[in-house]
Parts: sequence; structure tokens; C-alpha cells
Amino acid sequence: MILGLLVSSAFFILFRLSPFIGLATLLYEGFGTVYGWYNTLRMTIPLLIIAVGLSVPFTAKFWNIGAQGQFILGEIFATWIGLLLSKCVPPLADIIIAMFFAFIGGAIWAIPPTVMKLYSGANEIITTLMMNFVAVYLLLWLVSGPMQGAQARLVGAPSSAPIPAQDMLPLIPGTQISTGFLIGLALAIIFYWILKYTEFGYELKLIGEGEQVASYSGINIKRQIFLSMIISGGISGIAGMVYVYGITSTLIPQFFSDISTSFGYVGIPVALMSSLNPIGIIFASIFLGGILNGAFVMEAIYSIPIDVVITIYGLIMIFSIIGIMFDLPKLIKRWKR
Amino acid sequence: MNVALIILIIETILIGMIPRAMPIFASALGETVDQSAGILNLGVEGIMLMGAITALLVDFFYHNPVLAFLVAGFVGLIFGAIHGILVISMKLDQTVIGTAIWFVGWGLSGVLYAATFGLSSSPPTVPTLPHIYIPYLTNIPFFGRFIFGEDPLVYILIGALIAVDYFLNHTKQGLNLRTVGHDPRVAEIMGVNPYLYRYAAVLFGGFMAGIGGAYITLGIVGSFYFDITAGMGFIAVALVYFGKWKPYRVFVGTLIFGAVYVFYFMMEDLYPKIPYEFYQMLPYIVTLIMILVIGTRAKPPASLAIPYIKGE
Repeated sequence: MILGLLVSSAFFILFRLSPFIGLATLLYEGFGTVYGWYNTLRMTIPLLIIAVGLSVPFTAKFWNIGAQGQFILGEIFATWIGLLLSKCVPPLADIIIAMFFAFIGGAIWAIPPTVMKLYSGANEIITTLMMNFVAVYLLLWLVSGPMQGAQARLVGAPSSAPIPAQDMLPLIPGTQISTGFLIGLALAIIFYWILKYTEFGYELKLIGEGEQVASYSGINIKRQIFLSMIISGGISGIAGMVYVYGITSTLIPQFFSDISTSFGYVGIPVALMSSLNPIGIIFASIFLGGILNGAFVMEAIYSIPIDVVITIYGLIMIFSIIGIMFDLPKLIKRWKR
Repeated sequence: MNVALIILIIETILIGMIPRAMPIFASALGETVDQSAGILNLGVEGIMLMGAITALLVDFFYHNPVLAFLVAGFVGLIFGAIHGILVISMKLDQTVIGTAIWFVGWGLSGVLYAATFGLSSSPPTVPTLPHIYIPYLTNIPFFGRFIFGEDPLVYILIGALIAVDYFLNHTKQGLNLRTVGHDPRVAEIMGVNPYLYRYAAVLFGGFMAGIGGAYITLGIVGSFYFDITAGMGFIAVALVYFGKWKPYRVFVGTLIFGAVYVFYFMMEDLYPKIPYEFYQMLPYIVTLIMILVIGTRAKPPASLAIPYIKGE
């Protein structure tokens, strides 16, 4: 992980910036100031929730790359129901209902790839990714068509009407951190318990170790994987709801090429670098959220594109999976064989 | 609609689909060889992006498309080699490493672009490949432009298609390669070195993905923007499944995709009432349908995505 950071800091040379200063700025902007911390946590919240969701199917080695699409569907469902109900129910009920609908939305988007994998063996990475693209264009159409807010239509901006202020997730008193962070922490703890101490978590682990072993021990593989994907999609959907209700307050388009809103992709390295341990994910998401935030600032100051982050994430993924799977002596032994 | 219009539409699709199909085809051909040897390379998308940006940079500064393609292929080769080391020698999970390679290529292509041209400047342009117009033959009605009016790389790639198909199905080495993909243990007993074949396959796959990416910038767009491939690499992987690991079938699959792209550009003009976002969804939905239709019957090489560990 640290190796990944060091390697990627070499990229700063391309922008006539010394790698050391580049790395220091990146980390300082992310973690050095109170304001930086607020922004970092703002990035962290969706990452944390998505990565917790991803850790469930990943445990069974079912690679759900579709968190981005599920996230978008969660946003769409939550915003839709929120705008519909905002006048007739109290704020708390509105938030709970929106969260429920976000879960449904994300889960719906997770179902087709899962069914295709389980019943026809289609590679889940490709199918979930294709669903992401469809979701991106669906969102683009909705916010510039049927769901475009009246004010946004006047200026021709692609965005929905804002969620009324009283329905938004409140801030944690005394800070500028949305209570979405607490939702994320709660989910992380719940899923730490589920993956570690329940039969469901244990069976997922067995499936991950090899389908043969799992089927010998009488596990209903299809059912458990299906369940894990519903959970994962739903949680990604909740992340979408928290993002809209806690941060943006409107539904805005998310282009595939724009990494700053691609929390679904960034969630993958977050989940992997913490060995799929939800408690570890809390720290990993804060760390990668900080890098993302630092990169934002650097884009503004040094016009270094935010894309540098995705390279860092890729390298972190490679180095962390090397670290997860092997300790070094074993690796060398394996190589020699 | 009258007959003349229909013929015109078909002709437009035929002429337009070949260049649109080529980037996917080049990558899919490499991926076919990759997967025949038992390596699932999901990093194609990232490698294509790297090919696209390097080709643009080389052509922009040296004005030499041939060199640009070669350098792009070489960059693809390097990425293929990295992928090979990680999944063949180190036996890491091919799915995760593929995703990581995609991330690295995705980010790095954007970084290289911004480092050279800056973030806000207007995109640089390079001339796209010239088309060869064979005298007289090009003027044959209906089929002339379609068969005899493509750019040189199209003919080279079709040559590569024939060569790869011949190699896989009619040579001893091709048989060895497929055996490695099917059961490396049997291959080893036959006296074949599985690692060698797998490395050769990832190198070829990487090279072709680099070429495929280069074709996007030099053959179609003549420029570069962030994430220019927009999922083409993954479509290429899906098409290998659709083609059941047979090069000719893969080729047909990519032509269908070329036609889909042309179709949606055309329908946007013909029926602008339907929001254009739905047209843009089309390639991805077609991919999903293709996988769904073919998925139940496709039988991948038995050892696909399984690392080979001696003596286990």
C-alpha cells in the first residue's frame, strides 16, 4: 500500500513537481487541516458504505464491479420518492422511506448480472460493468428530462429539484460532518458481525475458498450468492441516498469518465486493501477518501488531473492483493516451483 | 420507406461498421488467444486506453502513424507482461489484477494526456488514417466502398484474423496453446511448458489491445479525451465469449457491434424524438443480451482464470 503511494508519487514529476512535495501536499490537503478533514469525510461517507456492501459478495469471490450503477439507482429512487413525499410525511419518515427505496433500487440493478452469472455463467465483471453504463445514461436522461427540476430547466442545467432542507440528513452537532458517516459506521459494525459470526458469513467464506468445498458441505451456493448481491446492491443504493441527502441535495449526472463521482469504482480498492474486513474498511475509506480530496485540491492548484488518483488506486490494489495473498517468503517459494 | 432508402441505409451501415468494429476486434482477437491459453485478461480496457494515448502522443509529435501504432502495441506489450508476471508467475487472482490493470491504464492515460496538453486546452487533433481506394474496384456499386475502400490497418487486421485462426486450429503450437488453456497438467506431461505459452499469449493479447486502442485515436476519432474507450475493452472480452473462442465468430460479433454503433448514430438523426441517452445505452444493452443468449451454451477453456501451480 505504501509502496503503491510511493510509486505513484513519481507521476508528479510529469507535472514538474517534486514527488515528495506532491505526496506531502496530497496528504496535507486531505488530513492536515480541519477543513480538509471535513471534506475528506465528505468523500469518505459514500466510499465507506459502498465498500462495506462490496465486502459481502467479494468474500464469496463474486466480483461485483457494478457498485457505481447500483449507487446511481439508489440515488434515483431515493430522490424520486423523497421529492414525492416531502410535503406529506415528517422528515424522519421521509429519510427512512428514501433509504428503503434506495436499497430496493440498488438491489434491482444487482439482480440481472447475478442471475446471468448463476444460470448461464456469464462473467459478472462484464455484466455488472455494462449495467453501470446503462445506469449512467439512464441518470443523464432523467436529470435532463423527466426529473429535471423547474429551476434547473430555466438555466438548462441537468439536475433535479433539490431535496427540501428539512428532509436532509442533519449534521453531527458541532461539526460539518453529515450523520451519513454514523450510518456508515453502523453498517460497518453490523457487517463485521455478520461476516465474522453468522452462518451466512461463514458460508460465503467457504464459497470463496472453492465452490467444490462449499457444495460438499451442503451450502446452497446460488441462494447465498444471490443474497450477498442483493445486500451489496442495496447497500450501494443506500450510499447513493446518503450522498444525495447528505452532500449534494440534488440529483446530478455522473459521467463515467469523471472519477470524482465514481465512488462505486473507488470502493473496490477500499474493500480489497482492507482484506474485506468492514472495520478495516472504515480506516481504508478515510485514507482513500483523503487522497481523493487531496487530489481535488491539487487539480485546482497544480492542474494535475484527478485521474492520478485512479492510477494510485490501481497500484494500491495490486500491491495490497500481493500483501493479502502471500507473505514474501511464501511468494518466493511459490515463484521457484 | 422505399427500397432505395433501405439500400442506402444498409450501405451506410456496411461502410461505417468496419472502422467502428476494428478497435474492439483487435482487442478481442488478442483476448481470444489470451483466453485460449487460460488467461482471463480483464485489463484490456486499461491497455486500450494506454494504446490510445501513446499512439496520439507519438503521432502528434513525430507525425508517423506506423511508428505510433508500433509504440502503442509495445506499450500494450509491456502492460501484458506486467499482467503476465502478476497472474502467471505470482499466481494472483486474475479478476482482481485485471481490474487493477484497468484502473492503472485508465488513470495513467488521463495523467499522460493532461501532462502533455494541460487540462483545459482544446484537444489536439491528428489526421486519421488515409483510406486506400483501389481504382475501379471502389466504384462497384454497393459493395465497392465497403470492401475495397478501407484504411490499410483493416486489411492487416483481417490478415491477422486469418493467421490467428490458422495458428490456433491448424498448427501444433496452436494445439499446445489450447491444451495449456484446457489443462496445463496434460500439457506439461506432453512436454509443453505451460508458462511459456501463457506468457506468449498475454504478450500477444497486450500488443493487440494496444493496437486496438491506437486505432480509436488514429483510425476513428483523430483525438483523445478522458476515458475514450467507454467500455470497448469489456465489450471485447464479452465478444470472446460470444464468439466461443473461435476467431471468425469473434470477428462476426465485432461486426455486429460496428453496425450497432453506426445504427445509433443514424437513428439519432432519423428519430431525434427518442432521447439520445437511450441510443447511447444501446451497445451495452446489446452486450448484455449477447451474453445472455450465448452464455448458456458457451463452454470456456476448462482452466480459464485458474493459475497453474506445478505439482498441485
